[in-house]
Amino acid sequence: MSTFTITALNGVSYAFILFLLAAGFSLTFGVMGVLNLAHGALYVLGAYFGLAVIAQLDQFWLGVVIAALGTGLLGLGIYYLFLRHLYDKVPEQAVLTIGLGYAIANIILWVWGPFAKMGMTPSAFTGVVRVGTLAFPIYRLVIIVIGLLVLALLWWMQDKTRVGAIIRAGMDNKEMTRSLGINYGVVSTLVFLFGAALAGFAGILGTPILGAYPSMGDALVLLTLMVVVVGGTGFIQGTMLGALIIGLLDTFGKAYVPSVALFTSYVIFIVVLLVRPSGLIGRKVF
Amino acid sequence: MATRPVDLLLGRLMRKAVAAPPVAAEGSRALALFKAWLPALVILLLLLVLPSFVPSYIQSLVTKMMIFALFGVSMNILWGYGGIPTFGHAAFFGFGGYVCGILIIHGGIANFWVNLVLVMVITALLGAGLGIPAFRVYGVGASDNPIYFLLVTLAFGELLVRVAISARSLTGGSTGLSGIPYPDLGIGVSINSYSYYFLVLGIVAVCLLVIYRIVNSHYGYALRGIHDNERRMQALGFNTWLYKYTSYIIAGMFGGVAGCLFAYFGGTMVPNNMGMAMTDIVFLIVILGSASVYFGPVIGAVIVVGVDYLASMYMPERWPLIMAAIIVVVIMFIPQGVGVLLLDLWRKVFHGSAA
Amino acid sequence: MAALLEVSGLSVHFGGLAAVKDVTFSIEPGERLVMIGPNGAGKTTLFNLLTGQLKPSGGKVLFKGQDITHKPVYARTQLGMARSFQITSLFPNETVLTNALIALQGTRGGRYRMFGVFTRDKVLRSAAQELLESIDLWDKRSETVSSLAYGETRKLEMGLSLASSPDLLMLDEPSCGLTPTESKDITERINTLGKKITVLMISHDMDLAFGVAERIILLHFGEISCEGTCDEIRANQTVKDIYMGSHKASTAGG
Ligand SMILES: Nc1ncnc2c1ncn2[C@@H]1O[C@H](COP(=O)(O)OP(=O)(O)O)[C@@H](O)[C@H]1O
Ligand SMILES: [Mg+2]
Repeated sequence: MSTFTITALNGVSYAFILFLLAAGFSLTFGVMGVLNLAHGALYVLGAYFGLAVIAQLDQFWLGVVIAALGTGLLGLGIYYLFLRHLYDKVPEQAVLTIGLGYAIANIILWVWGPFAKMGMTPSAFTGVVRVGTLAFPIYRLVIIVIGLLVLALLWWMQDKTRVGAIIRAGMDNKEMTRSLGINYGVVSTLVFLFGAALAGFAGILGTPILGAYPSMGDALVLLTLMVVVVGGTGFIQGTMLGALIIGLLDTFGKAYVPSVALFTSYVIFIVVLLVRPSGLIGRKVF
Repeated sequence: MATRPVDLLLGRLMRKAVAAPPVAAEGSRALALFKAWLPALVILLLLLVLPSFVPSYIQSLVTKMMIFALFGVSMNILWGYGGIPTFGHAAFFGFGGYVCGILIIHGGIANFWVNLVLVMVITALLGAGLGIPAFRVYGVGASDNPIYFLLVTLAFGELLVRVAISARSLTGGSTGLSGIPYPDLGIGVSINSYSYYFLVLGIVAVCLLVIYRIVNSHYGYALRGIHDNERRMQALGFNTWLYKYTSYIIAGMFGGVAGCLFAYFGGTMVPNNMGMAMTDIVFLIVILGSASVYFGPVIGAVIVVGVDYLASMYMPERWPLIMAAIIVVVIMFIPQGVGVLLLDLWRKVFHGSAA
Repeated sequence: MAALLEVSGLSVHFGGLAAVKDVTFSIEPGERLVMIGPNGAGKTTLFNLLTGQLKPSGGKVLFKGQDITHKPVYARTQLGMARSFQITSLFPNETVLTNALIALQGTRGGRYRMFGVFTRDKVLRSAAQELLESIDLWDKRSETVSSLAYGETRKLEMGLSLASSPDLLMLDEPSCGLTPTESKDITERINTLGKKITVLMISHDMDLAFGVAERIILLHFGEISCEGTCDEIRANQTVKDIYMGSHKASTAGG
């Protein structure tokens, strides 16, 4: 029973890391229709860059902000220089961003070496919470809280703000948005910046739990795709749902049936793509 | 036969003597054929004599180029001709290689020809199996967003990577399957890297010829039609699903042959040969060389494998950066590929006009 | 005589919008039936249901006595249906000749042949010559379709739908966007088709409609609003109210 509870808590905190990882991708892919397969590499870059900044400044939260800004600016560059010109050319977007992902991984390898890193938990959040005989790391709870805050922010942006409305209108009908005198170009560039920044943010926050190594982006971008596609494209709630499904499934799978855990997520992913490509609670965006 | 509607449409208004369509006189047609095939013949001859003049590392480089040329051309059946954006073509390449290696190492099948046929059959079966779910998410061609098909095929490749990692006893796990010997042709000649070059040349040449015939056949033109306008093809009576599905199998099968040749070539097969990175490389080969030109991927393979080789000599650590740079340049600046440019140049030089 | 096409209770809706509602009619062999109706009435949608591009949410389609409601598009063509598209739908990157060759290949044997050079298939080529001469495009055979004039693409559009020697020819606004002279040409061509081919045509162009039709159906908001001979339709008050007005407006507009 107690191991079950711990596994469940681990699964939920892992799900929130997945949510943070996938949220930015969900914005740019599910809402704007741009496929950025370098997203995993941006997460890893956020982790390494953030750790370096924290080591320099000895300030955890400032490091987090700088890491997010840095990856955000890189993402902005990728969108502004390349992806913006490849609208409707999905295979080309994929080829290009896969290549850029490997390039980013290579740069990380170049600058920081091939060794895996484990992020430090900020000193305020070290230690565990005890309930009876169970001990649960505080930092994992912090991740859950931050994940919930990001979810709330994105949900609010999506449903209540002008930006959300513009993006939704832009997805449905670009011409109409343009004729309303809204600069879809500027809005989409900013959304892309935000999406990439979220990847870096997730990277530095997730490192104390998941660790990081240069070629990690491959596995992460696949996880991201699974989360976004399974949950549903076009809504942030879908991404949360997908993250919970994949996160819990993976954690419980590894704990109880390790031999098949490697494949369960893939099988779910493929089944959802076949049965309901717009995801469990998504809308048809493509 | 009943009167055809076109006759009725012609009516009495404008009945003309229906002349046989112009077919060039036999002599000049043979000449035209010869001219069209001249470059291929010249290249074939050059490749035949090449090993006598170059050091063995160049010979081995060219072997690799030929294998990747077949890999690229096989993928282009889908992308260039059918317009189907598969992101899991490397799965067939790697799978073919693994099947080849496993058959030799665990199956005890030494004979090259038996092995090749088995690889073709088994990869075709893989294609037949994966194609059914894959084409469930692929709507009517270019009019639909191909994104889900792209993701499904990507997932298949990565799933196979995971399978290869975990089926350690068969595949050697994440370090890969090694110790694949040079093939045994069953004619008492032992194969080394020199004779393997000629074996690859022969197999690749035959495969390229067969694929060339396929894409110019009735079937091939139906595939082109599907690329251009699938909705119209259906309205014209073509079962477009069956064309796409079979082309997926055919492309996979030739991709498997390339993988099989690659397994013998390097002696090892690693899981990533089936994954995203390899798929990206083959896509680059096709786009760089021109998806719209039959020999485009051959040019792409020569460039990409060549640059890879140079990079491995001078800056082996920076290959991903170089590859990303090539991808950016190709996709942003020469999206039509260098094959188109070369073809135009060829026509300008030899026919006095660019077409 | 048994009807060639029998449609009963056919409906489809897109979200809340019922684009085709409970449509029932039939066509006799050799008949010329024209469907009119204002823009957005659901005419093209009805065609898409009949040819299988769309799945109906209710109703039934019988062709030559067979229930084809759930048959795929290509199978209906094999049975003897053919259609043209309102929005020209050709193979833009191929030559006129190749367009004809591909179209002719659709309902012939050897569609799956993997060896043999397609563009040199003698049987197909002579059929293509006939087809292209019949629509005055033989002289343009080596031109790429994307370089043709608009009027020529409309001719080819109709030509491709004739390639399968259909029993039922369905034309979706064949004169769409053409000048009056070109449109007259089309009328003449349809009238020389002969009674072996049954024609179901959508037309916005009243001259073309009256020039071809033996019977006219008016579709309005997805429903059959009235039906009759040309004279009856001309005299019908509903038609005058809901169609003629918008027809005049749309011709004036463009
Ligand atoms: N695929 C579709 N999805 C949603 N609405 C559609 C679709 N196709 C047609 N419609 C709508 O159905 C109605 C009928 O359209 P259509 O059949 O093209 O009219 P017509 O050909 O008579 O001008 C229109 O309101 C159109 O907007
Ligand atoms: Mg219409």
